[in-house]
Amino acid sequence: MKNKLILFLGLFLSASLAVMAQDNISPARKQAIDSLALEKVKDLSKYISIIGSKETQFSEANRVMDRAEELFAPDAEMGVSSINTQEIAYYKVRRYFERLMALNYDRVNITWYDIQYISDLERQPDGRYVGVITVYQRFEGTSIETGMNYKDTTKKDITIYVEKKQTQIAGRTIEFWDVMLGDVRVTETAA
Amino acid sequence: MRKIFLIIAFFTAIVSNVPGQGLGGPGTVKDDGKLAASTKQLNQFFRRFNGEESIDGTVRFYPEDSLYRNVPLRKGFLNVLFDNQTSGVSPDLKNQFIQTVLSETYPHYLNFHREGWYAEVETVFLYKGKREKATLIMKIQAEGLGFEWVIDKVIFQPFKDLFSKPTGDKKDFLHPLSHELGFMNLRRAFQNSDLPESFTANSYEPDYLAIFLYEMKQNNLRFETVSGLKFHFFQIQGWYFEVNQFNRPGFNTGWLISNLVRLGPGDKETILKYIYDQK
Repeated sequence: MKNKLILFLGLFLSASLAVMAQDNISPARKQAIDSLALEKVKDLSKYISIIGSKETQFSEANRVMDRAEELFAPDAEMGVSSINTQEIAYYKVRRYFERLMALNYDRVNITWYDIQYISDLERQPDGRYVGVITVYQRFEGTSIETGMNYKDTTKKDITIYVEKKQTQIAGRTIEFWDVMLGDVRVTETAA
Repeated sequence: MRKIFLIIAFFTAIVSNVPGQGLGGPGTVKDDGKLAASTKQLNQFFRRFNGEESIDGTVRFYPEDSLYRNVPLRKGFLNVLFDNQTSGVSPDLKNQFIQTVLSETYPHYLNFHREGWYAEVETVFLYKGKREKATLIMKIQAEGLGFEWVIDKVIFQPFKDLFSKPTGDKKDFLHPLSHELGFMNLRRAFQNSDLPESFTANSYEPDYLAIFLYEMKQNNLRFETVSGLKFHFFQIQGWYFEVNQFNRPGFNTGWLISNLVRLGPGDKETILKYIYDQK
């Protein structure tokens, strides 16, 4: 009887540990998720550069906006503030892209700094993980008529949602980690 | 002198590590080291404070890594985690704090999930057609399968103006034999008084958060925007510090300690009372 109880307890404990191990993201797994998330951020940065460029055709910009929107979770918003005011102005992702496309410059050049910062992943009450990737963008806009040249550097803190999903491939259930982009905080920097 | 040399060496190390980072696309702008040096997220503040990442921030250290919470690494980080340009933290106090944190026998670390730190969020609401500032004091709590930020207290001036309870012989009161009359004098008290809070106990404190939530549910309060953020830390025993974001040119930027206080008996409660500003 005593042996049976120990065996039962042992089984129960190992099952619990298995569940716990599933819930925690190992450093190696975290690195793989970081790479995946960074790929999405790179895609976003590429799309922003294309949408902002005055050399991009209207139809092409719209197509790229569709692709860019697909990176985001539904209802994601961009929160923008400037040096002059810390108050956040909110835009839907699509609206933000449209505003970027419509900027009144003859030449626009958007480039990205060779630096980024990736936070830890924290678990939310719903079991999904959330993280933030910080990147820096340099914007240069030139107006030929006025000769005006505007430059700024913005910090973009991009939310990433990480979720374990399942898919069926040839009758087998395969688990994988999916990354979606969420709200983006855009801060003009004094750098 | 040695300390200045150490700080310069630390920044140089940060700068020289920059090429390893980046989005990697063509036309990438090279950071001159300022962005690398900046404490870009509060998450980075935690990691730097605890010595849990490489100098350039690209490698996260875990308990099995040899440099995890390495003392010289932490010392370097702690020196650059202070606002060295505008805040009035004396070098002596800063050194005492660093010594406490790096104590060989009992080193101190920050813990994201542990209580003892708060976010102070400045917001703007529309209240009865007028833009009004509201300060939300928020904290992290465990919930469901993970964690969430929750509102602990709210500071909202229109509500504070609403409750100004008089005391002593200047206040309205229900006389001590009101019970003999079945409290019939409540009618006069409530009809004639602009300050019904006069009839509450000495211990009464209005729950501003409850009123705030009620007004929001009644559509009298509408959220407009966030206008500021800072953090308060009480996690290091015997110390309080405030962390603010510094958006300015140079190397000493991002989330930095802007205020540091060594706590004596009762000081924590006084500071908390000041932060909460509930009276």
